[in-house]
Amino acid sequence: MGDIGLISQVVVNGILFGSMYGIAAIGLSLIFGTMRIVFIAQGSVIVLTSYFCFWLFSLLGIDPYLSLIPVLLVSLLLGAAFYYGLFREAAALKDRIGSLLIAVGLMFFLENFMTVVWTPNPRAVVTSYGFTTFQILGVQLTLTRLIGLLIAVLAAVAVSMFLKKTLIGTAVRATSEDVEASTLMGINPDWVNIVTFAIGIGLAGIAGVTLATTYSFDPVYGFEFALKALIALTLGGIGRVYAALWGGIILGLIELLGTFFVGAGWAQGIVFMIFLLAMTFRPYGIFGGAGDKV
Amino acid sequence: MKDKIYTYLKTDKRNISIIIIALVVIVFGALPFYSDADSFFAYYLFLVFIYIILAQGWNLVAGYTGQISLGTHAFFALGAYTTAIIWLHDVTKTWYYFDPLVMIISGIVPAIFAIIIGIPLLSRLRGDYFSFGTLAAAEVLRILILRGGKFTEGAMGLRLPAEGFTNMEIYYWTALFLAILVTAVVYFLIRSRIGLALRALSEDELSAASHGINILQYKVLAFAIGSFIMGLCGSLFAYYLFIVSPPAVMNLNWMFLPILICVLGGNGTILGPIIGAFVVGALFSYGDVFVGQIHPMLSGIIIILVMKFMPTGIMGLKDRISPHR
Amino acid sequence: MANQLLEVKGLDVSYGDVQALWDVSIQVEEGTIVALVGANGAGKTTLLKAISGLIHAKKGEIVLSGESLNNLKPQEIVDRGITHVPEGRRLFASLTIMENLRLGAYIPRTRPLFTESLERVFTLFPVLKNRSNQKAGTLSGGEQQMLAIGRALMAHPKLIMLDEPSLGLSPILVKTIFQLISILNEQKATILLVEQNVNQALKIAHQAYVLKNGKTVMCGKGCDLLADEEVCKAYIGERGSKR
Repeated sequence: MGDIGLISQVVVNGILFGSMYGIAAIGLSLIFGTMRIVFIAQGSVIVLTSYFCFWLFSLLGIDPYLSLIPVLLVSLLLGAAFYYGLFREAAALKDRIGSLLIAVGLMFFLENFMTVVWTPNPRAVVTSYGFTTFQILGVQLTLTRLIGLLIAVLAAVAVSMFLKKTLIGTAVRATSEDVEASTLMGINPDWVNIVTFAIGIGLAGIAGVTLATTYSFDPVYGFEFALKALIALTLGGIGRVYAALWGGIILGLIELLGTFFVGAGWAQGIVFMIFLLAMTFRPYGIFGGAGDKV
Repeated sequence: MKDKIYTYLKTDKRNISIIIIALVVIVFGALPFYSDADSFFAYYLFLVFIYIILAQGWNLVAGYTGQISLGTHAFFALGAYTTAIIWLHDVTKTWYYFDPLVMIISGIVPAIFAIIIGIPLLSRLRGDYFSFGTLAAAEVLRILILRGGKFTEGAMGLRLPAEGFTNMEIYYWTALFLAILVTAVVYFLIRSRIGLALRALSEDELSAASHGINILQYKVLAFAIGSFIMGLCGSLFAYYLFIVSPPAVMNLNWMFLPILICVLGGNGTILGPIIGAFVVGALFSYGDVFVGQIHPMLSGIIIILVMKFMPTGIMGLKDRISPHR
Repeated sequence: MANQLLEVKGLDVSYGDVQALWDVSIQVEEGTIVALVGANGAGKTTLLKAISGLIHAKKGEIVLSGESLNNLKPQEIVDRGITHVPEGRRLFASLTIMENLRLGAYIPRTRPLFTESLERVFTLFPVLKNRSNQKAGTLSGGEQQMLAIGRALMAHPKLIMLDEPSLGLSPILVKTIFQLISILNEQKATILLVEQNVNQALKIAHQAYVLKNGKTVMCGKGCDLLADEEVCKAYIGERGSKR
C-alpha cells in the first residue's frame, strides 16, 4: 500500500518537474521553428532568470510569484535583445552551424559570468508558505510545486492561444512553415523573429521562477537543463505547443521514476539513451507525423 | 614561356614551405635548449601543441565532412582513461611514459566507440541532430564512467604514479612531435584519395553518392580517425596530469575548445587550427594568470564575435583581404 | 493608351555565379493580361522572383507606377501592390483556408478591406467558403490553386503575378483556371502570367513575351504570337493552335 503511495508521489513530482522542461521546450520549439536556431543557451538563461527571482526575493523581499511580472518583462526584452544582437544575421542566412555556435558561446559566457559574479553555490527561493502541503488521494503536494505546474499550464495555454488566435501568432506559424512564402504575404520575417525570440525567452523567465521556487539551482545547471529541454522537444515534436509540454512531462516522469527504481546516475543514462533512440527512430517526435519538418 | 616560369614558381613555393616548416620545427624543438623548459612560456607552448592535436582531430570531422561533433570530450576522456587503466592494471608491462603502444591503443578505443555510435548517428541524423546525438552519447559515456566502480573510480578518478615525472622536456617534445605528426597525417590524408572523397562529400553529398562514393563509409572513417586523434591527445594529457577523472578530462571545455580554435582559426584548413591554437592557448594560459576567472567568459564572447564578424576565421580573413584569382 | 503599370528595364539576374537573366525588359499595361512563355529554365520564374523581391537583380530597373522597386524587400513590394502566387502555390499547409486568407490581408492597408475582400473571394470560389476551417494541406490541387489566387486577391493588389497556375491540374480544371483569370481581368485586375501551357496563355493574353535562355526573344500581342509559325513549332506543335 505504502509503495503505491510512494510511486504516485514520484509520478506527481515527475509531472511537476517535467512541466518545467516542457515550458523550456516550447520556447526552443518556437525559436527553432521560425529561425532554425537551436538555442542551447536556453537552460543557462533559465538559470539566469532564476537568479533574478532569487535576488529580488533575497534583497528586496519580493515574493517570487509577484516577481514573475518583472522577470517576465525583463525576459521578453532580453529575448528581443538576443535576437537583435546575436542571431539576426545567422537567422537571415539560415546558418544553422553558426547560430548553434553563437548559442554555445552565449551559454559559456552566461555560465561563467554567473559563476564569477554569484559564486558556484546552489541557491533556492524558500518562502515561508512554500512548504505547505496538501493531501489529495493520499499524495502529498507541496504548494510551490502545485503553483509551478499551474504556471506552466497557463503559460502553455497563453502561447497556444497567441499562436492560434492572433494575427501575429498566425504569422509566426506561417513563417515557421515557409519563410519565403510568408514574405510574399507582406510579413516581415525580422519582426516575426523578434516576437518569437522574445516569447521564447519569456518562457525561459517563467521556467526560471518555477525552478527557483521548486528546486535548487547553480550556475552550471543550465547545460543539463538545456539538454533535457532538447530531449523534451525531441520527444514531443517540433511545432506543437502542447506536444512540447507533454514531451517535458514524459521526460520528467522517466527521469523521476527512473531515479526511484534504479538510482539517479542510471536514470540519467536511461534518459539519454531514450533521447538517442527517439532521435534515431522518431525524429518527428512521438506525436509527430512523417509530414512534419525535422 | 610563361607556363614554364609558373611551374617553376610553384615548386619554389613548395620548397619555401618545406624550409619554413623545417625552421619552425627547429625553433620550437630547440626551445628547451635556449630557453627554460619549465618556464611558463614552455607550458603555454605545450598547451598549444595539445590544442593543435585536438583541433586537427575535430577539424577533420567538422571541416571536411560538415558534421559538427559535440562529443570531443568523450573521445578525449576515453583516451585518457584507457591509458590510465592500462597503466594501473599493468596490461602492457611498460613502466615508462608515452609508450607508443599504449598511446595507440588509447586512440583505438575511442575510434571503436566512434564507429559504434557513428554508424547509427551518421546514417540517420543530419546537422543539429547529429550534433546532439554526439552530445547525448558523450553524456551516456560520462554516466558509464561515473558508474564504473573500481574500474574507473567514479567521480574521484584514477591516479597515475607521479614518480616517473622528471622534467618538462619530455612532455614538451612529445607534444611537439605529436602535433607535427598529426598535422602531417591530416595534411596527407586530405590530399589522398580518401581526402578527395571527403571533400566531395562535404560539398555535395548527393553528387558524391552518385559518383559511387559510399557516403556512410567515408563519414564513419573520418569520424573514427578524428576520434583516434582525440584519444591520442587524451592519452598525452593523462601522462601530463596524472589524474584521470570526469572533471579533469571530461569537462565541457574539452568539447568547446576545438570548436573555438577551429572557428577562430578557420574551418577546413590545415593552418587554421594551428593559428587558433596559439590564440586560444594564450587565452587559457596567460589569460588565466592575468585576467583570472574571467577568461572562460571571454572565450564565450570570442566565439560570438568571430561567428558574427569573421565566420571564416583568421584564415578566411586572408581571402577577404586578397581574394584569390 | 492605357497606363503603364509595371516596367522592367534591362534586368540582369544571377544565382551566385550563374547568370539567369540577360537584359530583360517587359512592360505591363494596366488592366491587361501579359503572358510570359518559354521552355523550362528559360528564366520566367526568375523574372517573377526579381519583381517580387525574392531575388535581387544585379543590374536594371523595376518600376511600378513610376516608383522604383529596386532593392526593396518582398514585404515592401507586397505593400506597394504586387502579389506573387509562386510556382507550386506555396500555401501554408498546416493553416486553415481561413487563416491563409487572413494572412493574405496581413498588410495594414488591406486590413480594413478584409471583409469586402473575403466576400469577393468567397463569391469567386464558393468551395473555399464551405470548407473555410479545413487545413490547406488537405485540399485537392484545383482547390489549392483557387485558395492561392484567392489569397493573393486579399492583398488588394494592383498587379497579380501567377507562376504556372495550371501546373498539375486536370484539363477541365485548367480550363476553369484560365476562365477565372479572364474573369479577374474583366473585373479590372492586371495579371502577369507565367505559363507552360502556351496555347491557353496566348489565347487570353493581350500581350506576351517569349523568354529563351534568360533573354526576351519575342514580344507581341497574344493572338499574333499564337498565329506565329515559329512559336507554334517551338512550343505548341506542328499542328498549330489547337482548340
